[in-house]
Amino acid sequence: MIRDIEIAYFLAFRSIRRGNKGTLAMTILIMILAFINLVFVASIFLGIVHAINVQSINNIFGNIVIEPEKDKTYLEQVSQIENIVKDVPGVVGLSAHYVGNSIISYDANNDGEDVKSGSWVVKSVNIEDEIKTTEIFKSIIDGEYLASLDRDKIVLGKDISGTHGSAFKNSSLEGVEVGDDVTVKFNNGLIRKYQVKGIFSTKSNQVDQMAFLTEKEMESVLGVSNRASEVIVKISETGREQEYIAEFRKAGLLKEDIKSWEELMGLTASVSKSFSMISIILGIIGTIVAGVTIFIVIFVSVVNKKRQIGILKAIGMKESTIVFSFVLQALFYAVAGIGLGLLIMLYIVTPFFISHPLDFPVGWVSLDITRTNLIISTVSLIVASLVGGLIPAWRGASESILEAIWG
Amino acid sequence: MIIEVKNLIKTYGGSIPTYALKGVSFGIKAGEFVAIMGRSGCGKSTLLHQLGILDNPTSGDILIEGVNIVSFTGADKTNFRLKKLGYVFQEYALLPELTALESVYLPLMMSGIAKKEYINRAKDVLTEVGLENRFNHLPREMSGGEQQRVAIARALVNKPTILFADEPCANLDSESSETVLKLFQKLNKDLKQTIIMVTHEPEDRKYVDRVIWMKDGMIGAE
Repeated sequence: MIRDIEIAYFLAFRSIRRGNKGTLAMTILIMILAFINLVFVASIFLGIVHAINVQSINNIFGNIVIEPEKDKTYLEQVSQIENIVKDVPGVVGLSAHYVGNSIISYDANNDGEDVKSGSWVVKSVNIEDEIKTTEIFKSIIDGEYLASLDRDKIVLGKDISGTHGSAFKNSSLEGVEVGDDVTVKFNNGLIRKYQVKGIFSTKSNQVDQMAFLTEKEMESVLGVSNRASEVIVKISETGREQEYIAEFRKAGLLKEDIKSWEELMGLTASVSKSFSMISIILGIIGTIVAGVTIFIVIFVSVVNKKRQIGILKAIGMKESTIVFSFVLQALFYAVAGIGLGLLIMLYIVTPFFISHPLDFPVGWVSLDITRTNLIISTVSLIVASLVGGLIPAWRGASESILEAIWG
Repeated sequence: MIIEVKNLIKTYGGSIPTYALKGVSFGIKAGEFVAIMGRSGCGKSTLLHQLGILDNPTSGDILIEGVNIVSFTGADKTNFRLKKLGYVFQEYALLPELTALESVYLPLMMSGIAKKEYINRAKDVLTEVGLENRFNHLPREMSGGEQQRVAIARALVNKPTILFADEPCANLDSESSETVLKLFQKLNKDLKQTIIMVTHEPEDRKYVDRVIWMKDGMIGAE
């Protein structure tokens, strides 16, 4: 058995080393492309899913959202809640928001005619807390973000202002610029005028249809204090949200409705799942294409070496040894293709996409190469190679000696 | 007798079979150098293929050293071919990626011999066929005659009971043909190697001990 493996290796190695170099290079190139195709497709879709998730965490939910218990509008004594959450190790930021739907209007000519208006979510922020928790302040594309003492200032998402390449211009205020005044009618009927201090664009449509006021301003509008519609919490280790939620419960937050960002993603979650499904389907197709390619390569090799196979059988070589030598060759093509493909992916393609991310509606998308993805792609290609090498080699070696030698 | 052939029949085709061998019977003694001769299509190569277990006869018996090889299964055949038989084909039949030395020691590798021993023995056999300066040459770096001598060395290296040669000089020039046939003659005389050679060249008769003439799938006059 060991000698059979040794002979198969001997034949495969000689065939690779002394065979046609052009054919060898072309075969390995095909394997490299097959591997890159498998990894790239999966990685780009994972990158999109990752971008959606990052948007959701950094701009909407943080990692964990604490909301009032059912039938209550606000979290009461929010400072106590904040103190409990802050004391849990690993919490890197938290921010309390008042959240409500409000009607925002814009009278471009200040003449009461052709007033644009719409209903959007308006949130309040405590600036010091907010910048530790979300990244919306980094997404200001015109003007400035809010300051702690601002009372008559508002920042708008670009899909409210209708400027800066808004995707929803027709349902926006159609042209609000920094410095313009807008009127906000709150749920309690109060109407206030604010000057637009900044316009932001996060590349998330959900976020870009929000407006922000300072916490003090919102409390004065609502006539409340030390309350919040939600507290969003940022933790140091994404993926361990449930452990943190358990810690919060243990620390005394028993009645509050606490959810992870994944539970709150809703429609976005189905988009993520769809992308993951497409990635799997394309991965399967890619593996089949790679398998068929290897099959053709080995098949051509077997056809060209049919006479040699016959001679090897005539001089007493076992069919299994002949088959194994072709399988080893297929394995070599696969391993060489995977190795070189991996180097190209890690040192050329990925750095390129990190420095030149793709502009998707969900955000800037780069390749998200995971160890699991690499392992799946590698194993798929090796299995495809083994099957693609085994079948034609077995068929070739099973032919009668005379048929193989003389056709 | 090292080979006894009894009423060997080989047919091809379906409902109306074509008879390639029509009940052939003969014997060959150990150490004989026999030529099977006859016109094209007379069944001489078919006969050689049956004797060398490269094909299965329709009926009849072939006894090599008293063992009926017709009843062999696939694995038995493979093992018997490796241990007892050597082949030299019409075309040189070398693997293009193996050097002369590698081609010759390949059957020894298959026999499970230690590396040092199989390399030395392959070198000895190559030297015996006059290729001591061609150990590391690939087939494309050798002449037709040299390639055929490598094939002969490969056939001999396992010390086969019988060496089969199917028109070994068909693709060689007259000088190379003479070299190969003299080599067969020398191996037969020096090593008492039994050789069965198919040829259609009448002048090859002078190198062999005996000629088996074939005509229309039957043995003619010897």
